[in-house]
Amino acid sequence: MALIEISGLVKTFGRGSQAVEAIKGVDLSVEPGEIFGIVGASGAGKSTLIRCLNRLEKPTAGRVVVDGRDMTNLPEKELRQARREMGMIFQHFNLLSSRTAAGNVAFPLEAAGRPKGETGPRVAELLDLVGLTDKAGAYPAQLSGGQKQRVGIARALANNPKVLLCDEATSALDPQTTLSILALIKDIQSRLGLTVVLITHEMTVITEICDRVAVMEAGRIVEAGPVLDIFANPRHPASSGFVEAVVGRRNQETGYQPKGVLVRVFFLGAAAREPLVASLVRLFAVEPNILQAHIDHIKGTAFGTLVMDMTGGAESCREALNFLRAQNLKLEVLANAPDA
Amino acid sequence: MLLTPSEWAMLKTSSLESLYMVSVSALLTALAGIPLGVLLVVCRQGHILENRPLSRSLAFLVNATRSIPFPIFIVFVMPLTRLLAGTSIGTTATIVPLTLGAVVFMARLAETALLEVPFGVIEAAQTAGASNRQIIWRVLLPEARAGLIMAVTITIITLVSYSAMAGYIGGGGLGDLAIRYGYQRYQTRIMLVTVALLIAAVQAIQALGDLLVRGISWRRQG
Repeated sequence: MALIEISGLVKTFGRGSQAVEAIKGVDLSVEPGEIFGIVGASGAGKSTLIRCLNRLEKPTAGRVVVDGRDMTNLPEKELRQARREMGMIFQHFNLLSSRTAAGNVAFPLEAAGRPKGETGPRVAELLDLVGLTDKAGAYPAQLSGGQKQRVGIARALANNPKVLLCDEATSALDPQTTLSILALIKDIQSRLGLTVVLITHEMTVITEICDRVAVMEAGRIVEAGPVLDIFANPRHPASSGFVEAVVGRRNQETGYQPKGVLVRVFFLGAAAREPLVASLVRLFAVEPNILQAHIDHIKGTAFGTLVMDMTGGAESCREALNFLRAQNLKLEVLANAPDA
Repeated sequence: MLLTPSEWAMLKTSSLESLYMVSVSALLTALAGIPLGVLLVVCRQGHILENRPLSRSLAFLVNATRSIPFPIFIVFVMPLTRLLAGTSIGTTATIVPLTLGAVVFMARLAETALLEVPFGVIEAAQTAGASNRQIIWRVLLPEARAGLIMAVTITIITLVSYSAMAGYIGGGGLGDLAIRYGYQRYQTRIMLVTVALLIAAVQAIQALGDLLVRGISWRRQG
């Protein structure tokens, strides 16, 4: 059973000729315990989508079922209860400036009507979880961006939610802080068995912690699947765009004139550790000239790309390509010089 | 000395009358004006209690009241004053037009202060399962308190100047004294002392407001 089930979701802002369709029919399911990423350019509708999950936006049509509860039709009181079972963190943190870190974390407990005596120990526990015990008395203005987001995370987890929604949670942070916040989310997710739905425009966020990813464009999900699959084999131009943002630009764009066969090789897992180029030189009469090489780690699995210009005659090159295919590597011949 | 003993006594009485008018109407104004300001904000389009008909009627009421010059307003509400205070003459009766006139002013200022609270913070509270009542009491009002204190300060200062016009209905107070003795009887000394007192009062009120705001916001300046 999926924990989150979205079907036929449509969200239109405005009316008549002014109407803007932000989401044009989205179907999606998120399994319990996974980290699900939604990536898309700004304006793709991803923020509206995640806000439909806890009904910060009311869907125009379609259904959003979270943990067996249809969010779209919940009356006010039940909606508040359901929201408590879903924490959310925001790009701009949205902390109460008039409260300390501890006061902010206490807010959801007060809202849920927990007795005063219970609040203190729970707040201390949450601040400890995010590593901010020594900042309990600090006001948001006295905290760095990363620390503010940690307070945001502690606040989101206060009522023991099953789901954590992250709305561009690292987009206002520097790369180093982004990594530490992502590591914290990953750590908390596995410790508490949370289900995480995050949206981002940065593919690195997806490769860092997500199990599955959906690529959004113009209000629709154009491709969804395990992160490694999308990376190794992006089928939609929007997906390829995001993959390239991580693995580097295509060579054609640099104006390079290939001398032989210009080929791109994708490696996955153990294959990334084989001395592939050395084998090519040793076994075939080819001279690979490496133009670009890149190894990424997607949730611990090595993922590499290599672009090389292979010279040494048409026959040798063909044999070399066949050899590479036989290694179960994904190949893409980008260009073939006329004399090769 | 500047004034005769009997003139000093008169000044003292007038000061106390002013203090009474301003403090009681300031209290009533804050008590009614801040809730009205909250209502103006939460009924807005896209806010937590969106209600366009109510929002429009309130805006109309506030604007209409504010368009009437205060001396005319005093006369305009006289029937209501008589109903509430039993009379339309005297210091206590003055409190009715003062409060009614200042409430709408206060409400607009409170609205501005409350709109300064980023909507994202309200959404974060909604996400945490807070009710609208909790959002108003625990998010909107505390987050806007510096702005609200400034709004109250400005309103009290406005009340000081409004109360000076209350001489029209025999309201007494420093403004009345200044007009009757300083202007109509050419006693410039009384006029000068009265004006000096009014200036000092306004300065003191503003300084107190600033002090309170600073006490609240020093921690938030990072």
